[in-house]
Amino acid sequence: MDAIEALSLSKRFGTIQALNQVDFTVSEGETFGFLGPNGAGKTTTIRILTGISAPTGGTARIFGRDIVRDTIAARRQMGIVHETSNIYTDLSAWQNLMFTAELYNVGKKEREKRGADLFELFGLSERRDDKTNGFSKGMKRRLTLAMGLINHPRLLFLDEPTSGLDVQSNLIIRDVIRELNKTGVTVFLTTHNIEEANLACDRVAIINRGQIAAIDSPERLKHTIQSVQSIEVAFDPVSQVHVEDLEQLPHVSEVRKQGDKFRLITEDPPGVLEDIMEYARRHHVHVISVNTPGPSLEDVFIRLTGLDIRTKGVKTVD
Amino acid sequence: MTDPGEWCGQVCTELHAAWAIAKKDILIYYLKPNIIVSGMLFPIFMFLAFAIGRPEVPAVMIPGLIAITILFSASSIEPVSIPIERRMKTFDRLLSAPISLHTVVLGESMSGFLYSLGIAFVPLIAGLILFPTPIVGFAALIAGLVLTSFCFATMGTLFAAYPTESPGDIMSMLNLVRLPLIFVSGVLIPLEQIPQIGQYIAYFSPLTYGNDLIQAAFAGDTHFNPVIDIVMLLLFILAFQFVANRLYKKYND
Repeated sequence: MDAIEALSLSKRFGTIQALNQVDFTVSEGETFGFLGPNGAGKTTTIRILTGISAPTGGTARIFGRDIVRDTIAARRQMGIVHETSNIYTDLSAWQNLMFTAELYNVGKKEREKRGADLFELFGLSERRDDKTNGFSKGMKRRLTLAMGLINHPRLLFLDEPTSGLDVQSNLIIRDVIRELNKTGVTVFLTTHNIEEANLACDRVAIINRGQIAAIDSPERLKHTIQSVQSIEVAFDPVSQVHVEDLEQLPHVSEVRKQGDKFRLITEDPPGVLEDIMEYARRHHVHVISVNTPGPSLEDVFIRLTGLDIRTKGVKTVD
Repeated sequence: MTDPGEWCGQVCTELHAAWAIAKKDILIYYLKPNIIVSGMLFPIFMFLAFAIGRPEVPAVMIPGLIAITILFSASSIEPVSIPIERRMKTFDRLLSAPISLHTVVLGESMSGFLYSLGIAFVPLIAGLILFPTPIVGFAALIAGLVLTSFCFATMGTLFAAYPTESPGDIMSMLNLVRLPLIFVSGVLIPLEQIPQIGQYIAYFSPLTYGNDLIQAAFAGDTHFNPVIDIVMLLLFILAFQFVANRLYKKYND
């Protein structure tokens, strides 16, 4: 049985078509990424799948339960970690967790044991009785995730789980997602961090303007745009190299400055490599490193959402 | 859900969740300054403004003071708590939990109900200790306190359905209703003494029936039969609960 079935989901707000005939399925045990630019329809989709909002067309089922007609039974299967760390800052961490457990009808003994285990897992045990208004952003996020797991969900909705977090919280949360996946929990992940989706997800869907633009595994998506090749080059920091200079090189379609490196998008990497070395000689600048990375999931995302190019071999929706 | 056992189990689950929501509100909001001002101090000042200088004060007016206190205190929690929870996004937790929207409305109303019930004892005990105000009908008193408190707590939850993140927006709208209710419900001025049009309007005010029931407990002298007061208050509670449920559904879609 699929964990999620979205069948021709549509949502209209007045004259705005927020979702238009969105179709996808998420298998049980899968980690599924849901990517899209702001306003693409990610939040609307999550609100429909969690039963907060009703679709104006189509249906959605959670483990076979219709989310509109059988909302409560469908919600019992899921845990939700909202984009904002929505905790009660006037309550202690423990009170927050126990309140959520009561909402999900977790028995007293079970919720206390599960709560202690989750606090241990997320490194919150020492602060369990502190009010959460003094918590760091990372601690609040970890508590939110613990609250999402208190009812042993079979399906976990994670909305931007690691956005803006410190390294420790990031690592803990990523590790927990991996462990959840191993135990068969289905994860529905929305994120702006494309690399995170690339590393964590079995499949990703890219949504744009309320429609699914592509659904596939990250690697298959990348292979579909092999024409996007690039050279990544780093110059000596004292060298004065400008993006505009590199854009003048033949066969370079785009130059992106990425930290101390430049990424030159081209269809002719060997030719451009020669041109870069020639440029370095002429301008007396030193090349520190050169790489020829393949297309990233970010390239796929930009292609599908920014340039709106349909690519061969990807399951696209026109 | 046709199996009675399953049905009972679900009802127990929903009631437990409603109580959890009420407990959460009690812990967080009861001591918030704006709730203390609007729920406790405001009715006292309102009462004093009308009572000082009047010959029948205060014994005869104690039931009225109790009714006003309940009106303001019961409807003061949710118009503050729900907009704050919208702003903090914690309200989404309730909306996405495996409970019905009726349970969310019930749980939110329960905290206002309990708060009001506690506050109502202040004028009640003051009346019993300081002034000769004997209670002649305990059943009417209990029914009056419980039903009136629950009715106005549900009314507060209903108003809080308005999709704003500012408690002030809801309080402004609520006061547009609460203040006129005091004048058309026989609380400060007996129903018989207000103009005919006011008496017609009074039939549509839940405060009329709440006040009448509490009056019955003290003086035994009422405008309606207490059974009518009880039935009308129950109808108002059901209507508020139903409309609140519809509005939360509409505004959160």
